[in-house]
Formats: sequence, structure tokens, C-alpha cells
Amino acid sequence: MEGKHDVLVVGGGLTGMRAAVEAYDLGADVAILSKLHPTRSHSGAAEGGINAALGNASEDSPEEHAYDTVKGSDYLGDQDAIEVLCEEAPADVYQLERWGAVFSRTPDGRIAQRPFGAAGEPRTAYAADITGHVLVQVLYEQVMRRDIPTYEEYFAWKLVVDDERCQGVIAWDLLGGGLKAIGAKTVILATGGPGRMYAGSTNAYACTGDGMAMALRVGVPLEDMEMMQFHPTTLASNGVLITEGCRGEGAYLLNKDAERFMVHYAPNAMELASRDVVSRAEQTEIDAGRGIEGNVLLDLRHLGAERILEALHGTRELAMTFAHVDPIYEPIPVRPGAHYHMGGIDTDVWGRTALEGLYAGGEAACVSVHGANRLGGNALMETITYGKRAGHHAAEWALSHTTVAVPPSLERESERELQMLIDRTDGERPWKIREELATTMHDNFGVFRREDQMLAQGDIVQGLRERYERVVVDDKGDVFNNDLTQALELGFMLELAQCMVASGLARKESRGAHARPHDFPNRDDVNYLKHTLVTWDDGEPRVDWRPVTITKWQPQERTY
Amino acid sequence: MTARRLEIWRGDASGGDFVEYEIAAEEGMVVLDAVREVQRTQANDLAVRWNCKAAKCGCCSAEVNGRPRLMCKSRLDDFPATETIRVEPMRAFPLVRDLVTDVSWNYEVEKRIPPFAAREGADWLIGQADVDRMSEFRKCIECFLCQDVCHVLREHDLKLPYFGPRFMVRVAALEMHPLDGVDRTDLLHGEGGIALCNITKCCSDVCPEGIRITDNAIIPLKERIVDRRYDPLVGLVRRLARAMRRGHS
Repeated sequence: MEGKHDVLVVGGGLTGMRAAVEAYDLGADVAILSKLHPTRSHSGAAEGGINAALGNASEDSPEEHAYDTVKGSDYLGDQDAIEVLCEEAPADVYQLERWGAVFSRTPDGRIAQRPFGAAGEPRTAYAADITGHVLVQVLYEQVMRRDIPTYEEYFAWKLVVDDERCQGVIAWDLLGGGLKAIGAKTVILATGGPGRMYAGSTNAYACTGDGMAMALRVGVPLEDMEMMQFHPTTLASNGVLITEGCRGEGAYLLNKDAERFMVHYAPNAMELASRDVVSRAEQTEIDAGRGIEGNVLLDLRHLGAERILEALHGTRELAMTFAHVDPIYEPIPVRPGAHYHMGGIDTDVWGRTALEGLYAGGEAACVSVHGANRLGGNALMETITYGKRAGHHAAEWALSHTTVAVPPSLERESERELQMLIDRTDGERPWKIREELATTMHDNFGVFRREDQMLAQGDIVQGLRERYERVVVDDKGDVFNNDLTQALELGFMLELAQCMVASGLARKESRGAHARPHDFPNRDDVNYLKHTLVTWDDGEPRVDWRPVTITKWQPQERTY
Repeated sequence: MTARRLEIWRGDASGGDFVEYEIAAEEGMVVLDAVREVQRTQANDLAVRWNCKAAKCGCCSAEVNGRPRLMCKSRLDDFPATETIRVEPMRAFPLVRDLVTDVSWNYEVEKRIPPFAAREGADWLIGQADVDRMSEFRKCIECFLCQDVCHVLREHDLKLPYFGPRFMVRVAALEMHPLDGVDRTDLLHGEGGIALCNITKCCSDVCPEGIRITDNAIIPLKERIVDRRYDPLVGLVRRLARAMRRGHS
């Protein structure tokens, strides 16, 4: 065993760091393990902001925040989990401020809040358009201040399960080479989403759903895997995200006739309808030939140079670099792109999974606060509040239990399995499979879903999995072997893709991000007001169901 | 699609050389795309660090045609079509392999800077103007291109007692936090080695976030140190005291 801890947090983004800080403050010996240096995590790319009912810009309350979130989720979010989030959010945001996070301000010096999609009040606190980056820096400072050890550039590959509980992780040491076992009384998976399985994704290259797949492989159910959110404003060239803050500031969406087409889809909220609604509207316009080379236009020009430079400076930089467009003078071509996975590892409100000792939080988890559609600004809030809660419970559990064991047989078995992959010389290169997965997921499991395409995609993914059995890694070395880690990531994504398609086929209705206009155009609360739960059954996904938790908001028709 | 030639440095601490590759470049491609294409199709064992592909994570720093740059933010069409694009690792840091360097020296320096701590009795009301003052500094993505180009660090193998431009920016962000109650001027003047910076502004030139490191972070910090440490009146008293001591001995 390379190391032994009370709590091991896998993933160094906002959820992971917040969990680690909480566990440390409760007195646990905690460590972070991540395939990246923590500040390189994809949390840092979050631009727009973090939602909490501070009431600084208007009368607001946690209850209103909860209602907007419930409605935004298309009633698939668990209302108990949503209430926890919205009630704890204000104090959690002020805690970040006490740690040095400086948010943009109101004229009287309080934290400013701006309107975001589908929010009844201006509720999104922000640090210009680099909110995620600012929070990552501040939390990393808290990690450093506590001297929390970090296994940096360690690629987590397997969970250690012994005596029917999770007792650690087996990871590949990227810099030094070799498999390392790290024992822990509790493990928190904070590994983010699997957006890279899509061609055209805002996600960083590291977002390959590692934790979800690791959990799946030890029998932990994944919840609502069909719910992949497509963000309405991404750049065609490389999927880079253009923040919802643009529309929060008043930007228009135009089709090729310069018409604000949202008037046909969400006449009240217009560009600030929820993300699923806007993405579908854009895709409908593009499919009907009213787009421009597969894009619609995001027009900021009327905001004026001064406001753009002040509030959307980073966005302007991105547009200029990656689209060769200066939004002060020209509209930005944008289209929907895979952005955030509402689904994930099934947890309760303390981040607990079905496996004792295993916790999850953030995008890797599904608690579920986002249901079928996440509201902008709620993801950052979830990382903080549910990171804290997972850290809290994992630490308490660890402090009341004494033993950790990583069976040597498990280490040997993992080493053999990896060696087999490395030794293979005759077969297919991983990137071909990866590329096919990404383009077919985009085509067959995107903004709109059709039964025949989903069935075809199931077969395609099954075929790719068979080809993956003979995948070949050319780099046989120990030091920074990208070839090997990309092959392992591909293995994770293939299994997750199959879970997503299976869940999508099972949900015969349209709800939030799961839109089936051709066969089941409406929401069906009688039969599908429930979560999909996928487990791995002899190498195949099996879909079970669990009812949505409703506390006070009965499902209603959802219009914006 | 057009053919583009790249020379990529291959090797490790024991030695290496540039290897030439040719790829089919698509519209809008950046150097990181090209390097990934090379890795995918021609050099499967090429080691590169990457993540966000959007100039936000600071992973993919390298020297492109001799200039420190983020590979993900360098468009191929910014270079003349006939030119071979030469990509090599940051030279100021120890090499791990190919384009990957060991930048952990920076993370160790970072730990030596006292974190934010609020002044006692802070009311947590902050003016937007105060936020604006520090906003430039917190854009830093820690790509360490400024550290790479800084001759104080680069030409002396990180052995001189200077934290480097990145950490002058970090200290500036902390010092200009309107509610911060920690004084880091002694640290900067001492082990931080700010005096070693002779304001050649190379760091500002390579910053992908456009932070004016020298003008807006380092020079104001130098001035702050002068203000706090070199009060002319205090200086006069010290000199007099020294003279008197000499007189007595």
C-alpha cells in the first residue's frame, strides 16, 4: 500500500477540495487524489456563477430557489435534496467569501446577483465571468493552508472493495509509473462528468466519467444517465463554452433572418428560458434551415463595448481566439453542445452510495438536484454544498471505524489486467473507437432522440465495446503515458454510454434533456415520475426505477 | 485542409531531439490540436499535458517557435503557412518527457505565501472599484509561461531566491484584497526576492491572460516595500543611531 488515510477524495475540483477541507476540519486524515493538479480541474472553466438566495438584488428566498430548481428539473429532481441545497446555499456562499473569494458587488457593497435562465429572481452570484476559476483558487488556498496531502497526477482506475465496503483506490501513477494502492476508510468520488464521449462538448479532455464507471463496476447504481444537458451557446470549432451570463446580461439569439426566434418557443422568458428549451429551439431552427452553417447567432452588440469589457471580458477573449469574432462588432456563431451530466452515481443527501464507505458528489453524483435539466449556476452551488456534506459524513464514518485493508490479491489482479493491456500488440488503436463513440453519440443521442437511433446506438456501442476488447496501447513506457490513460478512459466511457442509451430507451416520454418529439412528445407523470437506476448485470446494463421524492411541489405544466 | 509541418521535441532528461511530423490541418486548428493529431496518428508515445482546450486550465504550456505560449490558444493560421512550427517543452523547468515538464517547484513556492486572512472587524462590504483593482491579478491561470521566460529564474535554474512573476501576481491579488489583513512585504523583500526583478517586462509579454505583470503587480509591490521599509525619517534616525554607535565604540 502506497498510503493509508481516513478519507480519500478522488478528484481535485471544487467538490473534491470542498469535501477534503470539511473532512480535515472534522479531524480526519484526508488526502486528495487526482489525475490533474487540483487547480487544473474543469471546475475552473465554470464561468457564469453560483446560485444562492442571498436576496441582494431582489426579494428572494431559499423556497423560491427550490421551486425554480424543481420546475427547471422538469419535476425529476428530488425535492428533499433540492431543499437542502437551497437552504444551505447562502451560508455556503458566505463561507467562500470569508475564505477570500471576491464576488462582483452591488452599488452598496454586497454580493451582486444577476439573472440566469429559468430563475424567478436575479440569484446568481458571480466573479465577473471567471467564477469557477476564482473559487478553485480560493479552495486550493484552503487545501494548502491545511497541508492536505495530494496524490497529484494519479489516475484512479479501480475501487478497492473488501468485506462489502469500499476501502480505497488503485491508481496509475502518471509521473512515476506503476499501479499504486491507497487505502482509505471512506472514498469520495468527485471526478466530474463524462462529456468527452460527445463530439462537440464544452468539457475538458479529462472529463471522461471515471468515477461513475468505477462505481458501476463495483455494483453501485447510476441514476438518470439519459439526462445529458446540451448547453445552448458553444463554439463550433472546439466546443468552447460561451457563458449563459451573456444572455443574463441581455444578449439576443438570432437565426439567419436576424429574428429573435425564442419568441416562438418561450415568449416570456425568451433567451433566458431553461437550457433544454433553448437548445431544442436552436436545434429546431438549425434543422429547419434557418441556421448559418449549423449555428445560430448570439448577439451582444447592443450591450455596448463598455459593458462587454467589464462583465464579459473573458467571453470576448474566447470568441476572438477560437471563433475569430469580436462580439463588440459581430454576433458569435453558437450551437448546442454536450455540457453537463445531470445523471451520475446514485447518492443520498449525505453523498452516501449503496456501497458502504463509498461517497460521491458534484457532477459525478446524482443526488438528484438537477433532475432532467440543470439550471445555470446550480452546478457550482452543488459542488460546494454537497461536497461539504459528503466530506462531513465520510469523515464522521471514518473516525468511528478503525480498519483499512487492501487485499494483496486485488493489487496483483489489477496489475495482471493492466499488463495484459500493455502487452497486447495486435489490435485496434483506441482513438478510432473513441472518435466513433463521440460522433455517434452526438448523432444518435443528442438534443433530440428517436427510438430507432437509440436502438442503433445501443448496437454501435456494443460493437465498440467488443472492439475495445482488442485495443492496443503503443506506448509501453511508465512516464506520462497518455496513450495508456486514454485507453483506460475510453473503457470507462464505453460502459457509461451503454448505460445512457439503455436508460434513454427505457424512458418513453419527453422530460427535460430527454426529448423524444417523434414518439413520446409529452411528459408522462403517470408512468415516468421516477428515476432510472442502471446497474451492470453480467456485462449488460439493467434498468430499474425509483419514484421521485416530492415534498411540496406537485408536477405542473412547464412553460417559460 | 492544408498540410502543416511540425517539429516536436522528443526526449527526456538524458537527451533528445526535434522530430518532424506532417499533419492535415483543418480550419481553426490550434497547436494543441495539431500535437494531439500527431500523437493520435504518428507518435502514440508522445507525452503532453492538456486539459481544458479553452485557455483556462494552464496545462498545455510550451515554447512554440521559441516563444512561451499556451498550445491551445495558438492558432495554426497565426503562423505563415509555409513555416514549420517548432514545439518544445518549457526550458526553465526540469524535463519529465517530451513536452511535459516538472513544474512542482512553483507549487512549493505557492505554499510559502500566507493565504488570505480577513482584517479584524471586517464588515464584508466591498466596493466594485476595489474588486476591479484586483480583478486583473486573479485571471492568472498558473500556466507558468511568465516563470519560464523570466531570466532570473530561467538562466539560474530556479536557484536564485526569487518567487517569480506568477507569485508577484498572486501576492498582488492578496495584498489588494480590500479586506486582507496580512502584510506580505517582508516576505517579498526577503525570501520572495522581488528586488531581483529588474523589470524587463518579458513576463507581461507572454502572459496569455494579458496581465500587465510588471507594470501593475511588480512595480506597485516594489513601491509598497519602499514605502513601508524605507521611510526617509526612519532611515535618518537609523543612520544617526549607527553613527552614534560607531562613535561610542
